Amino acid sequence: MVTPSLAAIALKAVLAHKLRSGLTLLGIVIGVTSVMTIISALEGMTQSIERDLSRLGPSTFIVQRIAIITSDEMFYEKIKRKPVTLSAVEAITERADLVEKVSPRAMNRASVKYKDQSLRRVFVAGTTANYIDIIDFDVAQGRFHSPEDDKYRRPVCFVGDAIREEFFAGVDPLGKTLKVGSAKYTVIGVANKMGSSFGQNRDAFVIIPLSIYSQQFGAPRRGLTLMIKAYSIDVLDDAMDQTRMILRAHRQVPFNKGDDFDMVTADSILEMLNTFTRILRFGLVGISSISVVVGGIVVMNIMMVSVTERTREIGIRRSIGARKQHLLLQFLFESLILTLSGGIIGIVAGFLIAQALVGMMEMEMEPSMLAIVAGLGISTGIGLIFGIYPAMRAAKLDPIKALSYE
Amino acid sequence: MALIQTENIWKIYEMGQDVVNALQGVSVEIERGEYVAIMGPSGSGKSTLMNLIGCLDTPSRGEYTLDDKAVSKLSDDELAGIRNREIGFVFQTFNLLPRASALHNVELPLIYNGTPTRERHEMAMAALEKVDLLDRKDHKPSELSGGQRQRVAIARALVNNPSILLADEPTGNLDSKTSQEIMSLVDDLHSQGNTVITVTHERDIANHAHRVISILDGQIATDEKIPESRRNGIH
Repeated sequence: MVTPSLAAIALKAVLAHKLRSGLTLLGIVIGVTSVMTIISALEGMTQSIERDLSRLGPSTFIVQRIAIITSDEMFYEKIKRKPVTLSAVEAITERADLVEKVSPRAMNRASVKYKDQSLRRVFVAGTTANYIDIIDFDVAQGRFHSPEDDKYRRPVCFVGDAIREEFFAGVDPLGKTLKVGSAKYTVIGVANKMGSSFGQNRDAFVIIPLSIYSQQFGAPRRGLTLMIKAYSIDVLDDAMDQTRMILRAHRQVPFNKGDDFDMVTADSILEMLNTFTRILRFGLVGISSISVVVGGIVVMNIMMVSVTERTREIGIRRSIGARKQHLLLQFLFESLILTLSGGIIGIVAGFLIAQALVGMMEMEMEPSMLAIVAGLGISTGIGLIFGIYPAMRAAKLDPIKALSYE
Repeated sequence: MALIQTENIWKIYEMGQDVVNALQGVSVEIERGEYVAIMGPSGSGKSTLMNLIGCLDTPSRGEYTLDDKAVSKLSDDELAGIRNREIGFVFQTFNLLPRASALHNVELPLIYNGTPTRERHEMAMAALEKVDLLDRKDHKPSELSGGQRQRVAIARALVNNPSILLADEPTGNLDSKTSQEIMSLVDDLHSQGNTVITVTHERDIANHAHRVISILDGQIATDEKIPESRRNGIH
């Protein structure tokens, strides 16, 4: 077989000029590294959002004063809306027969203290006992608060794993007293670790009964978020329509005006997210592909120089019986070796950068097969596209002229 | 039938307005086992004739038959195959790959006919042994003397057992003592049964051959047998 020998010859030639080869593949390395990092970051982002959303069941939807903003105009329009209040929850619970459960949630940030330790700007949520039936929390220890806890405004709390880790390492957290803001709460339950997304630690939260939340923090300025579960996924659309009509009546929205609240489902958020990441992916990958193309041009340039420099070598090879395609392959292998090794280095570097970012920014990165395949595919493609012309030049040289080339 | 048979071959180069008739109807026959020198001053067309005989080029007109194959009609790939199997080139400037070891240089022709690695290795070692350079097999050309380089080139030319050993000014870059060594090696190869064609402008070198064809202005001027008494070297 001639082909493996040609690949070996090409590899030797690449290795013979280590510095030159290294500099040549730098462009490819940088390009593939950035493509790899971007794809990993986007993949990680999508996956963490998907996982968050999967906590919302398929038959659940969310009502909020403002849930989606896609433009400045929309922001200024929506900012005028009235908050969603507890009376809306009552109206839905009473009249929407397709709705199984409604759980309102208010949210704030407060510092949380235990003995002499404290955590600042922890998410504190006030909600009803059925929240845990709608949102899929894994309870690691203890329990979520009960309707009675809510009814009698008991100062109890259900905390995220970060709180446990920070305050109760090696200690049973249940029964301990935390200070949330200015008030004291007894820990009755701990959630399983959920990890972080977008640099946000999703385990740093405290959930308390809504009744006592309102007492401590007052009525939420931005209103309540309603988690609403329809009886089944089949009646989800009807349940949403029902809820919409009830809310419009309740909030006295004129028939010729649009809703003054937003309704979203996990699916609708995902759909938006996918559109968004698709645009982002095309944009960012497109931009970083430019550096891969520039890298390809560098490879082509060096290969042209190499062919000229080695005219005599080409003549020698042709005189002793190398065919045109042997030289074509030899030089094509050379540019492929350059771009592919650049691609492989880029994939490894991208993976390492992704790992470093995970550590530094608590960002979730997913070094996916897609990124690896894309990296290898791009570098192979660039090697072929930019390698073919110099290789053809080498193959087309007239052996007699090449032999007498000085 | 003769190993090499050219029938009225022409080589015409068109360079812009000028038309150069490098060869003008050369007919020559060379038998298997012959030792022939092609002589002529520079510009006589002897290099063109060598390129044609060596299948690096095809004639503009006329027929060239090498070992019963009509070479003038062959494609570029087929010519490469003929060069690989039938011709062993030895050049004035050695034309070795500078970065490769002596052994790899000798192996080169075998790479292009797909000889398996181990066999290739053995054949190259045998060829290096014939030119007495086995102990230098791992040396690069730059680490060898001129004479040694030419012997590596001769080993490369022989490795595939070609029909013809085609030497173009094989001693042109060597001093007279080394020239003698190389020529006696070439003489030896002929006495072992190889067909040898040397191209030279030196009478001394030409007189190692048994037959001298002199070319002038693209035509054969003389074609003479050299009697043993006038030959150089030991025969």
